Amino acid sequence: MAYVATRGGARAIDQSERLYRAELGPIDAARVDEIRRALPMLIDRVMGEASLYEPDLAALALAQSGGDIYEAVLLLRAWRTTQPRLTIAEPVLQDQLFTHRRISAAFKDITGGQILGPSLDYAHRLLATDVLQGQPYVPAPVEPAATPAPARQPSLAAWQKVQGLVADPARADVAPGDIPDLTREPLLFPAQRAHTLQSLARADTGGMLALGYAAMRGYGNAHPTVNELRLAEAEVRVCHPRGTVFSAGRVKVSQAEVTAKGKSGLLELGFCATLGWNEVKVISGATLDLNAPGAAKGSPVEEEFVLYHTEPVEASGFCIHFKLPHYVTFQSSLDALRGAKQTTAPHQPEKVPA
Amino acid sequence: MPQKALPMFDQDGDRAQPFDHARLLDILARADADRLAALAEDVLPSLGPVEVVQSRTGLVMLPMRDTAQGTDFHLGEVLVAEAHIRATGTEGYGMVVGRDLNRAMAMAVVDAAASLGQTPQIRAFLHREAAEQAAADTARLREVEATRVDMETF
Repeated sequence: MAYVATRGGARAIDQSERLYRAELGPIDAARVDEIRRALPMLIDRVMGEASLYEPDLAALALAQSGGDIYEAVLLLRAWRTTQPRLTIAEPVLQDQLFTHRRISAAFKDITGGQILGPSLDYAHRLLATDVLQGQPYVPAPVEPAATPAPARQPSLAAWQKVQGLVADPARADVAPGDIPDLTREPLLFPAQRAHTLQSLARADTGGMLALGYAAMRGYGNAHPTVNELRLAEAEVRVCHPRGTVFSAGRVKVSQAEVTAKGKSGLLELGFCATLGWNEVKVISGATLDLNAPGAAKGSPVEEEFVLYHTEPVEASGFCIHFKLPHYVTFQSSLDALRGAKQTTAPHQPEKVPA
Repeated sequence: MPQKALPMFDQDGDRAQPFDHARLLDILARADADRLAALAEDVLPSLGPVEVVQSRTGLVMLPMRDTAQGTDFHLGEVLVAEAHIRATGTEGYGMVVGRDLNRAMAMAVVDAAASLGQTPQIRAFLHREAAEQAAADTARLREVEATRVDMETF
């Protein structure tokens, strides 16, 4: 492979970018605000994959990219590098989450109950075409219960561990500053669990669904049942210069555990969490986490296969780079092809007309 | 200590008692931006000359604990606004999720002023904001409670 400098494309490149942006039109604060308010699920997906929580910036990135998620994620990942890392917050614990939705498909009578929260799971999927005829769609208001739900819900996994249903491996406390961090060090295999879970948290939703679905259909070792699915808000707990720990505010997070009966006779758990509310992503991710141990090299649930192929910026960047000029690479392939033809020509007369 | 009957949404009990520092910071970080800015304007003269040590946006890495194996890992980064000020005999600090530098600075100013004494004005502000925050949470949790499944097995 070789590179060669060429010229002559500058005007075309300039006008090409203008053509793309002209089709999107002017972007103002009102457009960004409307995107943020109208598309919270998309905003959440982009923030999760960008690994940067700021809804206004995510909406701006979507406005600039015209809704191309990979471009939006790239914009945010790039912008993130302009910001200093101020601190590392205290670890978020499951039973401290301000919980909006918490369900289990495996256990009917979980402590704390089944709380559906905001969901379309049981909704008819009907397109409200009347809107296009000029009749606005106005959703029916929620009829609030007389008493509030508890803000916090107990951990099902903790109960399962106490009951001896799930293995409870010994854990050592790690200072927040010592938690392995993929933004500062490379992903090496076999991956540390902290790297695996961080990588899943940042991963491409679609890529994770494809591989997770492959595992669910039988290309994995374990069939998942959702142990616990949670949509919640986490407090960002930081430290005042005088040492007081306080919450600087809340961010939306989602997390899933999936379970299957393991060879040990216990239930095994797979786990995934991400910034923002994104159920497909965390259920797929937890399924992949459950299936990874012992997976064969190159199988769609093997850790290296999963983590390398679901990194959104690397994967989309590598895919679209094939559009960029490869004239020299391709020329050398052509040369080799012609050379091979010439060497073999005397022995084998060509049957196909050139 | 006997439990006192609390007003419906006010979880801070005795109105004469000062707020502890963690509670004060929690309330300030979630306080209404305009009312917080107005209070900061009011208490600023009481601080005398103020040195701004820091006023910037930046990233806070948010770790989470995995429930399967108990591993702490990084969920992602949160953009925050941070302000740190020094005044005679004290300092003030503000950090809020988002990128509103004014909100962080107003929080730092009120934090510094409160450290010199929680005046009736500051306490009244904290009580009102705490009540509004609790009311917002309660309203949301009543909606959440409406989605609880009342399962009946046949």
